Amino acid sequence: MPSLAKPLSQQQEQRAVLRVEDLHTWFEVRRMGFFKAGDVRALDGVSFELYAGETISIVGESGCGKSTLAKTILGINHITKGSVHFDGEDLSSLDKEGWKRYRSNIGYIQQDPYGALPPFMSVKRILEEPMIINGIRDKDEQQRRIRQVLEEVKLAPIEDFLPKFPHMLSGGQQQRLVIARAMILEPKMLIADEPVSMLDASVRIEILQLLQALQRKHNLAIIYITHDLSTVRYFSERIFTMYGGKIIEKSSTQALLKEPLHPYTKALFEATSDPDVQNLYSYKDIPSGEPPSLMNPPKGCRFHPRCRQIIKGLCDQQMPPEFWVREDHAATCWLYKDK
Amino acid sequence: MTDKNVVLDVQNLKLYFRTESGPVQAVDDVSFQLKAGHTLAVVGESGCGKSSLAKAILRLLPRNVSEYTGKIEFDGVDIMQYSDEEYRRKIRWHQIAQVPQASMNSLNPVIRIEDQLIEPLLIHDKMTKQQARTRVAEVFEVVGLPVDFLQRYPFELSGGMRQRAIIAMALASNPKLVVLDEPSSALDLLSQANLMNVLKRVKNEINTTFILITHDIGTASELADEVAVMYAGKMVEYASAQYFYTDAHHPYSQKLMASVPTLREDKELGFIPGQPPSLINPPTGCRFAARCEKKFEKCSMEPPTTDMGHGATVQCWLFEETGEVKNA
Repeated sequence: MPSLAKPLSQQQEQRAVLRVEDLHTWFEVRRMGFFKAGDVRALDGVSFELYAGETISIVGESGCGKSTLAKTILGINHITKGSVHFDGEDLSSLDKEGWKRYRSNIGYIQQDPYGALPPFMSVKRILEEPMIINGIRDKDEQQRRIRQVLEEVKLAPIEDFLPKFPHMLSGGQQQRLVIARAMILEPKMLIADEPVSMLDASVRIEILQLLQALQRKHNLAIIYITHDLSTVRYFSERIFTMYGGKIIEKSSTQALLKEPLHPYTKALFEATSDPDVQNLYSYKDIPSGEPPSLMNPPKGCRFHPRCRQIIKGLCDQQMPPEFWVREDHAATCWLYKDK
Repeated sequence: MTDKNVVLDVQNLKLYFRTESGPVQAVDDVSFQLKAGHTLAVVGESGCGKSSLAKAILRLLPRNVSEYTGKIEFDGVDIMQYSDEEYRRKIRWHQIAQVPQASMNSLNPVIRIEDQLIEPLLIHDKMTKQQARTRVAEVFEVVGLPVDFLQRYPFELSGGMRQRAIIAMALASNPKLVVLDEPSSALDLLSQANLMNVLKRVKNEINTTFILITHDIGTASELADEVAVMYAGKMVEYASAQYFYTDAHHPYSQKLMASVPTLREDKELGFIPGQPPSLINPPTGCRFAARCEKKFEKCSMEPPTTDMGHGATVQCWLFEETGEVKNA
């Protein structure tokens, strides 16, 4: 199903698994432990919708707020402003039971599989734990689910793996176990935060294809967070670029690959090296400078101090709104104000 | 082959580590030559022995070495004959410098950058403080950092800048060879691209010889003239970048290339099922055989190193007849 970056029909809106509206997550910084020194605006006004069966890639460099976004959706960070709706339910209205139900509906896949697995628990125990917490006490049902997820993530023969401990598994197997654990409660949505960046090149594709197969089978909605632009084209329908706590470009994968719009996304494209011997003979055109401080973000567009296409008097004064250049492609950049 | 341009000639280099369950064959019978001004990219997955190769060349060995043999001829001199003290005084930092993994975090946080950078010059090159300062200012410009940053402390610089400062430190004593161990993998995308620009400029302008150790085949193409692929302690393929990136020969190299996603063109991605063998008791014969689709009877024997022309070599039975066997 080719999905569009913009919610068009009523029908689509109803099917949105996740709706994030004007989400802000600010962390308070204190001076001398008492006086408020300001806020780190890790997430500053993010809105999007995610539908069942689709993958959104969120691309950006460290400190752009992509992991904060994941953690805020998961309920690990508090929401400063804005709202998150899951399956039509507002997260702020959930009680304790509601949170438990909500959390069992999202699977979380961490970056470092070894760090994410308790070293003193066997594979069997690791997979039982979420079921015990969420009240699936029936032993047969537990067995059935363990067998099913292990088959799905291809950790076979299952009997060999059940008594093993995480350190006995290779990096790729550990990550597959993390995925199995995320899948055991039969969630509707997965959040994968850099799921392959710690793995070797030859296993990365295997893990990503595994996620894709799970998505097709269970009609999962996936948020795939990464800094590696080269993998997103193969594994997502839509790509969002984040910079300085904001989403600055939203696009369908095809449209973005044809022509990135925002100068920052263009820079990310330029910086990504494909294996090509011609690279040896040319220099890359990379904007200088560093990402902005999120405590004192620059006035206007957050990228303007590094941008070569800056419009003086506009970019450094006013934050640009989202301009929909094409039906499936928006950029938060003043360059597109007439389009 | 006695080529005047060859800076580094490594023959049958072995580096084994002693462990309780037996020797780990981290670098096993590796041979290659590197010409002055060229960059060799050593690629491979984690645990394939690429960092151990760097350690073996720099002789930065841990205590549990059980075997360290072979020939390393550097600039026409067999440096394996040197005693450790001689090696330290004549070669390390002076002639062969290195940028270790995640080295941007190895700067001392309480000493100004300048004082750290001039140290090897004072010790190894016997420069006066004034000379050393001038030299450091020179290399700072080469790596594209403002000279007044020398007066700063490391925490006042971003990760990309610290990494460039370390590279400046490696270049300061004008070494003939610089070993870069994953120089950019701890950096963000844009800083990474920036750093590759800097290294490329250093390479083109000062004609430094680099050994670039990396797992990132895409980034390696920014700098590499030659590419060496390591698998389970063996150098299974060595070729010029031009041939490697268009027409890799070894089945492992081909699979590895197929697993690299590309941004600009759509391609069918693959992966390599299974895992690399343990280096403690590696299988006899070809070490990739268990994961190889093109495996046949001969693969249970040690594959010969075959010369494929254009200075390329490959260790695989498939090419026994097409190429010219060097040492069976």
